[in-house]
Amino acid sequence: MTAYPPPAPATRNTRVAGTGRRGPARRLTRERLVALGFIAPAVVLFAVFVVYPIVFNVQSSLLDWDGVSAGTPVGLDNYRDLFSDPTFHTTLRNSAFWIVLTIVPQAALGFALAWLLNTRLRGRTVYRTLFFLPAVLSPVVVGIVWQRLLDPFNGVLAQLGRATGIDLLTRSYLSDPSTAIFAVIVVNVWMWTGFSMLFYLAGLQLVDHSVVEAARIDGATGWQLLRRIVLPLLKPTHLALLLLGIIGSLKTFELVWVLTEGGPNHASELMPTYLFKQAFQLQSFGYGATIAVVLLVVAVGSSLAMLRTFGSGFITGDRS
Amino acid sequence: MTLPPTARRLAARRGIQAGLALCLGATLAACAGSADPEESADGGGDAQTVSFRSWSPIEQTTRQMIDSFTESNPDVSIDATIFNYPEYVVDLQTRASSGTMPDIVGLQPGALTQQYREKLMPLEQCAADTWGDDWESKFHPVGLEQARMGNPDGDEHYYALPLLVQTVNLWANSELLDAAGVEPPATWDDLTAAVATLGDAGDAAPFLLPAKDAWLRNVVFLQIANNLEPGRVYQAEDGEVPWTDARIVEAFDYWSRLFTEGIAQDGALALDSYPNGVNQFEAGNAAMIPLGAWWIQQSDPSKTEIAPLSEGMSGYEPFLFPTLPGGAAEPQLVGGIDVALGISADAANPDLACEVLTDWIAGDGGQVLINTFNDLPAVTGLDPEEFTSDKQEQIWNQLTQDWMPNVQWSRYFESPEIDTAVADALAGVAAGQLTPQQAAESVQAVQDQQG
Repeated sequence: MTAYPPPAPATRNTRVAGTGRRGPARRLTRERLVALGFIAPAVVLFAVFVVYPIVFNVQSSLLDWDGVSAGTPVGLDNYRDLFSDPTFHTTLRNSAFWIVLTIVPQAALGFALAWLLNTRLRGRTVYRTLFFLPAVLSPVVVGIVWQRLLDPFNGVLAQLGRATGIDLLTRSYLSDPSTAIFAVIVVNVWMWTGFSMLFYLAGLQLVDHSVVEAARIDGATGWQLLRRIVLPLLKPTHLALLLLGIIGSLKTFELVWVLTEGGPNHASELMPTYLFKQAFQLQSFGYGATIAVVLLVVAVGSSLAMLRTFGSGFITGDRS
Repeated sequence: MTLPPTARRLAARRGIQAGLALCLGATLAACAGSADPEESADGGGDAQTVSFRSWSPIEQTTRQMIDSFTESNPDVSIDATIFNYPEYVVDLQTRASSGTMPDIVGLQPGALTQQYREKLMPLEQCAADTWGDDWESKFHPVGLEQARMGNPDGDEHYYALPLLVQTVNLWANSELLDAAGVEPPATWDDLTAAVATLGDAGDAAPFLLPAKDAWLRNVVFLQIANNLEPGRVYQAEDGEVPWTDARIVEAFDYWSRLFTEGIAQDGALALDSYPNGVNQFEAGNAAMIPLGAWWIQQSDPSKTEIAPLSEGMSGYEPFLFPTLPGGAAEPQLVGGIDVALGISADAANPDLACEVLTDWIAGDGGQVLINTFNDLPAVTGLDPEEFTSDKQEQIWNQLTQDWMPNVQWSRYFESPEIDTAVADALAGVAAGQLTPQQAAESVQAVQDQQG
């Protein structure tokens, strides 16, 4: 007597092995095709909304084209002109400033706020809402308001500066080419710090309390706890913010446009604002497309570099 | 529901075929990325519907113009969308290259009209059919001249007709000037003296210069340059004289002095004209501001709220940029088209589009438009039916009768590259990055690059 079920009939194994009526190659092909049929809608959407614009842009970048009339093929001339264009060099420099000076302070301030608001502070929900509020405002509204605040003639900060004798508040930061980009960056940090705070709040609430408690029992001080336990455990959050920050920095348009229009004299120009001016104001659609292609390469390149460095699971915290 | 295996296979096969067909279609479309724009020709729309896209006139006024037309043409419908200017140029470019150009489009003279010239129909026949063979005599000359600005040699067609025109000039807050005992300055010395007096008189900016806007920098510069040596900058654009001509460099120098001599307010390069500059001026925080004839629209009686200064234009006075030492004896009038209208070459019903266009320029729709004081009419003799004050009427008459017919100098450069180069050079000078000589050289360099 046996408690085991009888062996399965050979024919079933044979069917599975693929030696039955339908040949293995044919069956696999059909399964693949069915699978392809299921993913086709996604492929189509990807092709229409991602691949097509990229191909269109690359093609346009090889033309001397105003976007309306027939374009003239110019080979790689647009790329040659772009790389020798001093304004483009300024946009690259400004992008570098933007990436470093927005991501780091936003993360530091966002973490500090999250750390404070993750305690049993009275009214913390109200504070969380207030700090997150700028992130949901339209950049155009933020730009107009800050333009008024920073106006050295009649702005709130200038009036405050004159009333208190603090000259620092009365300077014309947006109209000075040496400070314009930094003034816009400060506004951007103000706007998006709440977003970083939200990420860190979520991250902090996922930190395993037993690890923190164990560290405390082992005698870790507050600083040690923060530096050796909490910050390392928040690595996925840091990296997610880093990736989003880099991509967001490269895409920034509205805030710069409203605050400075990339000026004065291109001092706060970023690639998207320069692209817009070239494609739609100077009617150099081909040249604008060239900037778009370079922007795409930089964005994809930096994202791939991060994926390669930190692995594809870095955002989810998956160590594999 | 469970399908039998045969039906499942069939459905799967069809799904696969459809998916692959769509993929193939998308791929082919991608390969045709730079499809010949020439083939983008599909006027679209039915014969009794006219589509209109523009950035001007404003939405509320456009609606009134449409109502006026459709009241007398009840079987016609007009589909209109008014954008902000930057969004409009994107929309127009996208539509023009995808064969969905609106029947009637708002245009600026020069580069914008020229960009779409091949997609626009010549309008002389439409104008002659409506207004007679001497139709050109109805229009202010500078408007017609600018409507053909940039046409290739030998092409005398009008691809756009002006709807609204304007002068560019200065406006004074007459209450602040009166309180300080200052007259609108007629000369450069008057200007510097007025700024000093007004600066001592109160907190308002004596001369509010919203120099963040490239267009505003350029129109102020054109007023300076023409007052110094009338017409010289246009000669430079035509290549007849270099941009480094002494008089043009001097014009850059006068622009520079607006900043170095404290005539313009601090932070002028960060202030835009709309909304911040005009809000300050209308709130009484500035004594003088460079804008243009369209400022009279602040007194539009159909507005729900009018600022006290704007009520019947009671608090304002227009004046021209002061004369400059060694320059022209009289201030020069600079101006041109505010907005022009063109008709798509692929319009479904060009005759109807022509009817709408001519009605808005000089018919009942035009009257509705002018009743709002939106800007000055492109045709002569079209006045608002009602004025809300004597001062408003006096200013209107000054703008339309004394100034506009005598405008000789364009507020636009023909080439967008030169327009941008001048605006950049002026920003560089204002920011102290460029000397007037270097600014002129930078424009010359762009001109040389254009060949």
